[in-house]
Formats: sequence, structure tokens, C-alpha cells
Amino acid sequence: MNAIEEKLWDYIDGTCSAEERESIGKLIAGDAVYQKKYRELLALNAEFLAVELDEPSMAFTYNVMETIRTENAMQPLKARVDKRIIRGLGVFFALTIGILLVYVLTQVNWSAENTIPVQFDFTLPKIPDYLNGNVLMAFIFVDIIVALYLFDSYLRKKLTHKTAH
Amino acid sequence: MQSKLTDIELIDQTLAGNQGAYAILIKRHQRFVFTLALRFAKGREDAEEIAQDCFVKAYRALATFNKQSKFSTWLYSIVYTTSMTFLRKKRLDTSSIDDENVYIQLENHSSGMDNNLAEQKSRSFYVNRAIEQLLPDDAMIITLFYKGEQSLEEIAQTMGMEANTVKVKLFRARQRLKERLEQTLKHETKELV
Repeated sequence: MNAIEEKLWDYIDGTCSAEERESIGKLIAGDAVYQKKYRELLALNAEFLAVELDEPSMAFTYNVMETIRTENAMQPLKARVDKRIIRGLGVFFALTIGILLVYVLTQVNWSAENTIPVQFDFTLPKIPDYLNGNVLMAFIFVDIIVALYLFDSYLRKKLTHKTAH
Repeated sequence: MQSKLTDIELIDQTLAGNQGAYAILIKRHQRFVFTLALRFAKGREDAEEIAQDCFVKAYRALATFNKQSKFSTWLYSIVYTTSMTFLRKKRLDTSSIDDENVYIQLENHSSGMDNNLAEQKSRSFYVNRAIEQLLPDDAMIITLFYKGEQSLEEIAQTMGMEANTVKVKLFRARQRLKERLEQTLKHETKELV
């Protein structure tokens, strides 16, 4: 019986192929069992179609719009920045940089004759002179302080994370 | 008064900043969204909350709607996911008295829906009550198919299933509805005799 109903529902819903439709149509016309079942399902189909939709409360639309308005009002200014302003600022800076670049490039004298010779006379300081025992001690002392500070902040973070969960 | 603008035109106007256009969209779809929510929540208050939540979510995500499918299909998929989340949450919140609560809610819903006894006894009333007693998924498929004018493919898209699965579920749901209606009407006839 299920197979018959399945075929008939396909026929009623229009989800079968043209050939299937034709063959089921013939069965309905010629077979009394099919005919009876078809009428039964057709009546059921009409009943399903006649079911009425439920109506929400009168203030439904107002409530939704009010929620949306409240959300919009509560939106932080940071999230409401107009994208056009950002784009405008971008264009302004790009133009300024471009104009400056063009101006600087036009001011440069590209001929090699006017090159100013630069003279470097730089000697590296003698580092071993500064690295005595006291400096090394101070360096190690600062290192220990920094290490202790970092360890302390790590422990504090761990503790905060634990209490939060 | 309903606007003659299409859903897409109303969406464009909403995105351009006209909130009134979104209010028209809500009015156009609220009955259906509310009915779908009722298939999951059973109680009117919960259903209204779900339906409102759906419209707020849709408003927030309106810019992401790609207009390739119908707005209703997109909206119903939001209804489905929101309702499923509601059901999951409810299952976690409630204990063994859950069934009893649902039964009471069903009774309240039915009695509050219409006080006209003659209408309550009509065939349409029984069909509606039988749909409410189906599994939420099956009730949703029946509602989408018959009242939402959605094809099997569109229902599949809404519910994230294969079209063939939807077809099988629709068939089974109709079978169950038929059996329930036969049982109920037999019982009613006996009472009358």
C-alpha cells in the first residue's frame, strides 16, 4: 500500500517524470484501488493546504523594530565609523605623498658633477675598555630583576585565568 | 497595508538606511515565521521570542544575503537554526518533567488559540493539532511544503539536508498525520455516538 501511496503523492506533488505521470494517470483511471486511494490522498492534501497560519501578537513588528533601534543606538562609535571617511583619509594621504614625491624628484639635480663628496672618519670605540667587572655585575643584576618581573607577571596571569574559570 | 515592492527591493531600501522598509518585510513574513517557530516551541511566548530573534538576526546579516535564492528561503534557514538552538537549550534546561510541560503548553496553546468550540471541532483544527504532535523537523517540512510554497530543493537548502531525505521525511510525516487524523476522528465519532 505504501508503494501505491508513494506513487500517488509523487503524482499529486508533481515530482514525478512525464512518463511516470502518464502511467500513474492510467492506473488511477483504470484501477479502482488506485482511484479510491487517489481521492483519499487528494482530500488529505486539500486539508493540509487549508491549515491556517498562526498570528503573532499585535506588537510583534513594533517589538522587533524597537530591538533593532536599541541595538543600533548601543552600537559603539568605533563600529559606526563611516567607511567613506576612511577611504577619504586614505586618498588624501596617498595624494599628499604622491605630490611630495613628485616635488622632491623634480628638485633633485641629477647631474653627477654637483655631487658633494662626503668624508667619513669614523673609528669604533674600544669596547673592552668599558667592559670591566662592575659593568658586568650591573648587567647581570638588571637581567635577574627583569627575569623575576617576567616570572611574577606570568604567575599572576596564570592565577587570574584559573579564577576566571 | 502591504507594500507592492518585492522582497529584494525592500532589502535594498533597508540596506540604504530605510528602516520602514524592513518593518514591511517583517509584516509580510511574520505569520509564517511565527508558525514555524511554534512547530518547535509549542508555547506562544517562546515562539514569539524565537520569531523576533530571527528577524533581528536577519536584519544584522542582511548585507550578507546574496539574492541568489528567495529571501524567504534564507529567512527560513535562520528560523530553523534558531529554533534548533532553542530546542537544544531547552533540553539542557529541563528535566524529566519536560514532557508534562510540553503537554500543558500544548493544551494551553490549543485552548488559547480559539475559544469557538465549533471551530475547534472542525477538521482544520485537528489537522493543526496533529501537525503540532509531529516531530519538529517533520512539522517544519509539512509547513514549509504546504504553506511556505517551498519546493523540496528549497526545503533541503533551508534545513541543510538532501532533497531526497526531505522527500522521504515528507512522505513519512504525511503518513503519520493521516494515521493520527484517522485515530482522532474515530475517537470523536465514538464520543458523539
